[in-house]
Amino acid sequence: MFGSIPLGWLQLKAQKLRLVAAIMGITFAVILIFVQLEFREALFVSAVRYHTAMDYDLAMLSPKTDFMVSSKQFPRARLYQTLGFDGVESATAVYMRLVSWRNPVDPSNARNILAIGFDPSEPGFERLLSAEGVEAIKIPDQVIFDRRGRDEYGPVRELLDAGRPVSAEINDRRVDIAGMYEVGTSFGLDGGIITSDLNFLRLLPTREKSAIDFGLIKLEPGQDAVEVLARIREAIPMDVRLLTRQEFMDLEIQYWNKTTPIGYIFAFGAVMGLIVGLIIVYQILFADVQDHLKEYATLKAMGYTHGYLRNVVLQEAVILAVLGFLPGLGIAHLVFTKGADATRLPLEMSVQSALGVFALTVAMCAGSGMMALRKLRAVDPAEVF
Amino acid sequence: MDAGVRIALEDVSYSFGKGALEKQILFDISTRIDGGEIVILTGPSGSGKTTLLTLIGALRSAQKGGVKVLGQELLNAREKTLIKVRRQIGYIFQSHNLLDSLTIHQNVQMALQLGGVKSRDGKDRIDTVLRRVGLGEYEHKYPGELSGGQKQRAGIARALVNRPQIVLADEPTASLDKQSGRDVVELIQDLAREDGSAVILVTHDNRILDVADRILHLEDGHMKSLSEVVSEDASRMLNLLEKHDPNSANYLATFSFALARIAYADGEVSDSERDEMRRILHEVAKLEAAEVEFIMEMSMMQKRAMSGMDNRIMNPAFDNDRAEHFLNSMYAIAQADGISTSEELVEIAAIAAEFGLTPNGNSESG
Repeated sequence: MFGSIPLGWLQLKAQKLRLVAAIMGITFAVILIFVQLEFREALFVSAVRYHTAMDYDLAMLSPKTDFMVSSKQFPRARLYQTLGFDGVESATAVYMRLVSWRNPVDPSNARNILAIGFDPSEPGFERLLSAEGVEAIKIPDQVIFDRRGRDEYGPVRELLDAGRPVSAEINDRRVDIAGMYEVGTSFGLDGGIITSDLNFLRLLPTREKSAIDFGLIKLEPGQDAVEVLARIREAIPMDVRLLTRQEFMDLEIQYWNKTTPIGYIFAFGAVMGLIVGLIIVYQILFADVQDHLKEYATLKAMGYTHGYLRNVVLQEAVILAVLGFLPGLGIAHLVFTKGADATRLPLEMSVQSALGVFALTVAMCAGSGMMALRKLRAVDPAEVF
Repeated sequence: MDAGVRIALEDVSYSFGKGALEKQILFDISTRIDGGEIVILTGPSGSGKTTLLTLIGALRSAQKGGVKVLGQELLNAREKTLIKVRRQIGYIFQSHNLLDSLTIHQNVQMALQLGGVKSRDGKDRIDTVLRRVGLGEYEHKYPGELSGGQKQRAGIARALVNRPQIVLADEPTASLDKQSGRDVVELIQDLAREDGSAVILVTHDNRILDVADRILHLEDGHMKSLSEVVSEDASRMLNLLEKHDPNSANYLATFSFALARIAYADGEVSDSERDEMRRILHEVAKLEAAEVEFIMEMSMMQKRAMSGMDNRIMNPAFDNDRAEHFLNSMYAIAQADGISTSEELVEIAAIAAEFGLTPNGNSESG
């Protein structure tokens, strides 16, 4: 085949050392972008683990509640009011609070853990607790433990798996661990226990039974959540907040993304990666154009257009993007596999995010190419003689 | 190929800069170059020859006057027109300007793919042109692996692969030794002749002037006559010789004077006679080849004057103006010391008679 000459590739290939340096630079930038974006994604996914695991159509909370772990209370009566509306099937009151957990093996080691309480006769926790779990928490001072919590809570998982009874001190009250559920950690949360509303109040004697943290409202099948929500909102006082499932999650994500610096830091990290990549590719392409100015002037003298030369530079940019992206993808994947084990965070690279980062890499390289092109405009074919 | 007009320049002027900084580089250049013609453009650096070449080569658009290249007017031409014309011209550069990351074959292909040549023909054309420049074996080498002369030949192959109607070469021998330079110029000459291209060759190199059909000389942006150029060069060189080696200067002058009198005394000198003279001068007089050529040329100059005497009726060197200028200047020279004596006037009349010129008498009053 006697096609047209891939000048961009041939020029890159002719400078092996520079090509390797460029690829390494881009790979580095790609890894940086991947890691930052993936940690950011993990932050959001993990922040709404309980939001996702609980079963409800509408959520009720205090207007003062910014995020789950530091919830404020509101009157339980408001939740039960919603039962009077058409389409509402059930309403579950949920109590939530960080409590102090003493390591069952090393009791001098105390650590905060999220305690969740609800009426076991109401729905909402089917995806979290087995039927035995629900039965178990009806017994006083029995709780269910998150097996994917951090190791600092002690070898609860190992002991229970080995069939040994485990009890721990929570807020200076001895409780038995009657089983385990599975949710995992997040940036604001190291672990959790779920128990009945009564057991919850035993752990926190100062709490009123009538002041709850969240209300989970389940609608009858076929009901439109938005429509029901609008009706309820109109009728009940505004001292509570009523959200759809999606709005409830968005509120939490919004908090971590906007109100805390954490979301910003990861986004900033990704932008830094992008800028580092941009600068590296720009340097490489600029030097490449600089080195070939005379050759480009010659090509222009021969009758090649500015457009042709522009395509050569952009071709180089895209080639660099692809060659830098692939190793970056591989290394980032490795990092996530190791990172997920170490942090218990949901670090999983989706095809979608891989494609997204690839698009970003191509855009980064093409952008650098565009900047390097300014040099190309200075090429005057009359300079060749 | 048609040997019609390829390049027509009419009163071309060109300036760089604007306003107070404007500097005119070319002044009213006019000439016409036909297909098959090899024109050498000479001149000192800064004389504007490169600018003229870039105008003809459509590398910049003309500002004033007519620049017609391959039938296309380039005065204030748009980029699109310039590019179209560029594609029909073969450029040969001072330092080959090959693309270092491409093989010789690919370099030539870069030119060919501009010409829109189809795949199968393309390969053959490249092979053919590389064989023509003697690089058949080197097509898959990179420019870095070739010698200077080979690179320049590759550059020539690239310029000629599209069989352009115009070839522009800028100092193609500048970076080459004497022999490679000679080979390269002869190659350009042969190939251009075969293809019937018009060739413009810019050079400083006096050794290659003989390949030209015509020599254009630029100085400070003006086109100068060849006689002016030769006189200037020759007198300057003779001056230098006189200054640094007066003995040799005298020796050579005497030799050429004597040679003109003896060898040309009997009128015509045939080519074989000249070769014999060269041999004798070299072997018997122990002169170097270049010195022999010099003596031959000097004596030839005098021989030419004498042959003028034989054509009293029609002396082609003297048209009406020149005859008048010639005689007027003779009278003026006689007058230069304040008074023209009768001996001087007699001598002038004799010279005029010898060269078949008629004194018109006007010049005596002065």
